[in-house]
Amino acid sequence: MIKKGAAAFLTGIITTTLVVAGLTGCGKSNMGAEHVRLMVWSPAEDQAKERGEWLQTMCNNFAEEHPEWNITFVYGVADEATATDQVSRDPEASADVFMYANDRITTLVEAKAVAKFGGKYKEIIESTNSPELLNSVKINDGIYGIPFTTNTWYMFYDKRVFSEDDVKSLDKMLEKGKVSFPLVNSWYLPSFYFGNGCTLFGDGTDESKGVDFEGQKAVDVTNYIIDLVANPNFKVDADGSGMAGLRNSSINAVFTGSWLANDIKEILGDNMGVTSLPTYKINGQEKQMYAYAGSKAVGVNSHSKYMEQAVELAVYLSGMDAQREHYRMRNVIPCNTKLLEEKDIASDALVKAQNDTFNNTSILQPFVPAMVNVWVPIENMGKGIRNKSVTHENAKEQTEAMNAAMNSNGIN
Amino acid sequence: MVEKKLQSASQKKMINNIIVHIVLAILAVIWLFPIFWVIMTSFRKEQGSYISTFIPAAFTTKNYERLFTNTTILNFSQMFGNTLFIAICSCILSTFYVLAVSYCLSRIKFKLRKPYMNMAMVLGLFPGFMSMIAVYFILKAMGLTEGSLIKLALILCYSGGAGLGFQIAKGFFDTIPLAIDEAALLDGCTRWQIFSKITLPLSKPIIVYTVLTSFMAPWLDFIFAKVICRANSDQYTIAIGLWKMLEKEYIDSWYTSFAAGAVLISIPIAILFLFMQRYYVDGVSGAVKG
Repeated sequence: MIKKGAAAFLTGIITTTLVVAGLTGCGKSNMGAEHVRLMVWSPAEDQAKERGEWLQTMCNNFAEEHPEWNITFVYGVADEATATDQVSRDPEASADVFMYANDRITTLVEAKAVAKFGGKYKEIIESTNSPELLNSVKINDGIYGIPFTTNTWYMFYDKRVFSEDDVKSLDKMLEKGKVSFPLVNSWYLPSFYFGNGCTLFGDGTDESKGVDFEGQKAVDVTNYIIDLVANPNFKVDADGSGMAGLRNSSINAVFTGSWLANDIKEILGDNMGVTSLPTYKINGQEKQMYAYAGSKAVGVNSHSKYMEQAVELAVYLSGMDAQREHYRMRNVIPCNTKLLEEKDIASDALVKAQNDTFNNTSILQPFVPAMVNVWVPIENMGKGIRNKSVTHENAKEQTEAMNAAMNSNGIN
Repeated sequence: MVEKKLQSASQKKMINNIIVHIVLAILAVIWLFPIFWVIMTSFRKEQGSYISTFIPAAFTTKNYERLFTNTTILNFSQMFGNTLFIAICSCILSTFYVLAVSYCLSRIKFKLRKPYMNMAMVLGLFPGFMSMIAVYFILKAMGLTEGSLIKLALILCYSGGAGLGFQIAKGFFDTIPLAIDEAALLDGCTRWQIFSKITLPLSKPIIVYTVLTSFMAPWLDFIFAKVICRANSDQYTIAIGLWKMLEKEYIDSWYTSFAAGAVLISIPIAILFLFMQRYYVDGVSGAVKG
């Protein structure tokens, strides 16, 4: 009883404070601009002084463009991967505007934590992004985020070792230099299987179609990878060994993404080459590797008190000017179709490689719920091949076992 | 004959010693190896998370400097300060809770004593992080999940459950004879005086133990800090900071600094232990005569 009384007392105090605060808020708004409090979450680098404080700059510009609102910004740090968890766990206490990686978009939508864009905003988003990119933030034709960059991996190489012609074919590269690939990472390994016709959930959205990593096409790939590991010029990249190899020149090409671009640039300098994925040869035929691709998007909290302002800010933060500044300050690869036509951006090899990969040598990473069953079997396959427990003799049954495991949730 | 026998006995002893020492040396190397490795890595000059040589090719103290100078993305000194503050506060609070609860359960007979001990036992079987989401929403309802109140929230989290961890201290108090308490009562001591003037001075080892464990729990905790801090990066504790350094964006450039941070967080624990270990020897020895 005492506790209840105390709780009621506390609630009373809190309500009174809120009412008072609300009253003062109203008082001010009558005098002119409407008072708005927007909480914005972004990765720490977007707010770091030494990187130019992208977020603060953009938010202040936004405030200047909208004198009708008197906006107070509250900044929080949540990178694209963690924002999903935080926002879906407690949307009410989360940011009005946040950035998230699209692979967990279903979690956000199921938690009813992210707002759907409609009307004129939908038109703006559709007119500035490619349809493939839009698919990465679409669920049942609703757009739940505005992409501001693509998220995928591709190839970095040493120009002194490989020519522009060499990097088109993995087998050619292996003749000329050392290549390192994260074979034991399930975000990378499936690229070989996708190349030979294996699919996930039909076109990636139809859960009922399941995983198709079966038959001779998948066994051929397993056999190819077994040979690949046996090649003395091929090195498995694990625990940062690829980067270490680049540093001491024992490795000449790695597969990774823009997050390591600056470090690689530091090592290779002007000799850094970067391009979309190469082809590889199975049974005499050239097959294209396909990376997983996704996007990072700005989302609006569906619990936001200031929906209009939050949506406007999200559109601004993912708009052309903001993307240009993002690219200039932090090397975040833009994806706005108009911006990509600009000369200085179009000529950047990194931008070109990432976008080429996204457009030509990648598949959209499926975000159907059954996707969670896919990761571990693939990773185990990579480990098995590395440890030589998967051999040409048992490749067929191991591949079948992997396919079965990917199609099952382990419970039934 | 006698001499020969003696010699063989001492030889035997020597052989035994050699074997024992070799085994101990091997075990010591195995146990100390990871620590030594972290220290080596913290002074390593080459960047990156992968090393091919155990002894670094070049040494530097830059990794340590960087923790305190490069603060815009990961503000290590602030995290260090936050964690130290939280750990000291919860250490004091939970030490008091543990000792008080143990003393009561050991000395005072009351009706709920047995049920309380059973309940504590059962509750203690559940891992604390099971309740973390519930704890988060309770703290949020109390308005403790924003700004610097997060520190208070974390202190409450770490010290709140301390009263359940009384078993060891209670066991220790049980070994102090009741006769001492009775003598003190006859001399006119109150319960509090018995606790503070007689039981506590006799229980230094267990106090040291309690202080150490209740300092280390918040100092090293990751789960609660992660759930409660959310996007408030100015309230991050060291554990979150160190974890951040290993994310794919940072790991290549921050890995050696991560090792340096790992070395630094062991310092307060080491100081606390060195300062307190002399009390380990004291305690009950010679307290009760005859």
